[in-house]
Amino acid sequence: MKIIFNAHAVEINKSTDGYLAEVGERRYRIEVLSVDKTSGRMDLKISAVGAPALEALVQSAYVSADGAKRWVTINGQTSLLTKTSGAKQRSRQENAGGLTAPMPGQVRGVAVSVGEAVKKGQTLLTLEAMKMEIRIQAAYDGKVKSIHVAPGQTVEREQNLIELEV
Amino acid sequence: MFTKILIANRGEIAIRIMRACKELGVRTVAVYSDADQNALHVEFADEAVHLGASAPKASYLNVDKLIQAALQTKADAIHPGYGFLSENAAFAAAVESANLKFIGPSADSIRAMGDKAESKILMKKAGVPTVPGFEGLEAEAEFKKAAQEIGYPVLIKASAGGGGKGMRVVNQASELKEALDSASYEALNAFGDQRLLIEKYIAEAHHIEIQVFGDEHGNLIHLFERECSVQRRHQKIIEETPSVLLTPELRAQIGAAAVTAAKTVNYYNAGTIEFIFDAHTAQYYFLEMNTRLQVEHPVTELVAGIDLVQWQIKIAAGEKFPFAQADFRQRGHAIECRVYAEDSANGFLPSTGKLLQYIEPRGLGVRVDSGFAKGKEVTHFYDPLLAKLIVSAENRAAAIQKMQNALKEFIVHGVTTNLDFMQTVIAHADFRDGKATTNWVENVLLAKESEPALEHILAAALAELTLVNASAVRSESKNETDPYSPWKTPNGFRN
Repeated sequence: MKIIFNAHAVEINKSTDGYLAEVGERRYRIEVLSVDKTSGRMDLKISAVGAPALEALVQSAYVSADGAKRWVTINGQTSLLTKTSGAKQRSRQENAGGLTAPMPGQVRGVAVSVGEAVKKGQTLLTLEAMKMEIRIQAAYDGKVKSIHVAPGQTVEREQNLIELEV
Repeated sequence: MFTKILIANRGEIAIRIMRACKELGVRTVAVYSDADQNALHVEFADEAVHLGASAPKASYLNVDKLIQAALQTKADAIHPGYGFLSENAAFAAAVESANLKFIGPSADSIRAMGDKAESKILMKKAGVPTVPGFEGLEAEAEFKKAAQEIGYPVLIKASAGGGGKGMRVVNQASELKEALDSASYEALNAFGDQRLLIEKYIAEAHHIEIQVFGDEHGNLIHLFERECSVQRRHQKIIEETPSVLLTPELRAQIGAAAVTAAKTVNYYNAGTIEFIFDAHTAQYYFLEMNTRLQVEHPVTELVAGIDLVQWQIKIAAGEKFPFAQADFRQRGHAIECRVYAEDSANGFLPSTGKLLQYIEPRGLGVRVDSGFAKGKEVTHFYDPLLAKLIVSAENRAAAIQKMQNALKEFIVHGVTTNLDFMQTVIAHADFRDGKATTNWVENVLLAKESEPALEHILAAALAELTLVNASAVRSESKNETDPYSPWKTPNGFRN
């Protein structure tokens, strides 16, 4: 079956002695030594097809799923992957004029109003979360097109806060 | 001894204190906010009292509700932990006037030392070296004049502050106003007091602090140093003892200065004198006194061989501290890493969500003081500290190796943590050589976002076939907050 994480497509299928995975031109043999659903742990031996399988080290991979998100930890390194359909993703560029909340929190203050001209680096509004203050700043010179939040309002991560236009 | 103690805190420190209480046969009362009703510290206590809404002002900073909770549960003492009301003299006084015992120093000591401006003046008088600067200013113009006199860069600090809150480095006059505004707001919010002080910003500084401990009968000693130079946003992330920078002579000198400082305010219970240390000149300057238990107290416990929290409780109950300075020596080496829910590659922004997986490291010399478990929620209302990982070993090299392994064993999914980042810090030559100064992380070690390794992608793909069963994949995510996510549309193209 074909699975896509971020921009990486993996074709993975069961084989006689484990699994066979293809990433681009490269092919890998994966031997699964154990799977523990409680801890999300799999003990794996990954080897490139063609290389002697015996030389592959056993690695413990911890995987958790949350919606489309996959958290993976191997040897102390953790990645957050997003399983996608392969269709064109809503990119940040499409939303270039919009500024979104980098984290959940509360809007402390809005420093500008609609129609106001702003300079690159100017603080547009401030958020507060975990007792930390975060300034949302203009990425370029422009004009405030719309403001979607008000002081005191609680916002979610990636919620649209304010839109600029050149 | 007390029969019941109310712990006016949350997270790992509340649990740490409850453990000490249980070991002493004292019953425990937890307090909690709306956001914390399923928190681990609530489960851990013998009983629990709901304080109010999630915002700290409505809950963990609400003096009346805390005292009412203690009286209602017939507790005879309150332990404040660190942060929140731990260094609030009015709270300590209010606790005592309700005929409850405050487990900590006297309200007078807190008042004298908790105020950075007043304490600086006191220390100057007592002959303890301090950083050049000004206290007691109010108007922006006064700060501007002071900054010019001191010379930029300057540091703005909350008079009532601690833990880097309400603190700003100002590099030039044009940044001053916004720094004053945001620092005073942050100070007001965190400590209920918006006064600020200004001093010379010492750029190449190490942070060395001395643990002091005294009883209410006039005995007071120090329990050596902790080096806490690895910081981000002026907040410590790694602490250790002993410091590689101190010679035995220097250690004795700073230790004696700390004891002098504490005795100046008739201090008792656990406290910490923080110093700025310039490694080039071996000069040390009094920074502030933290009139409470420190986050990083475990490294001292491991190297000095004492349970600080148990002794805090025993001292507060009137016991004499039976040890003299000569009874203590440093044995081995201990390091603490603060495990934060934050994205090191993205400005150390806090990360929130439900913990999908949480597996702590184990082994000889490995201690985890944790406030969380699998399934618990990390919210945006409080500090992003998940747990403290503390290791101790025969020497520093062995402790570093042990920490490196323990960090790798620590599995946290659901929020982004600094576990990966701390491995980079611990393995860095500057850290090994003791060269990390307080701005080292921001200047040298800024983490970059990296592409996921191939094996991570392969493991995730494999998990689709072996681990992630249909229900797990299809369950709607509580963490998914993007309303435009294609995963939420009814005709979504998820296969």
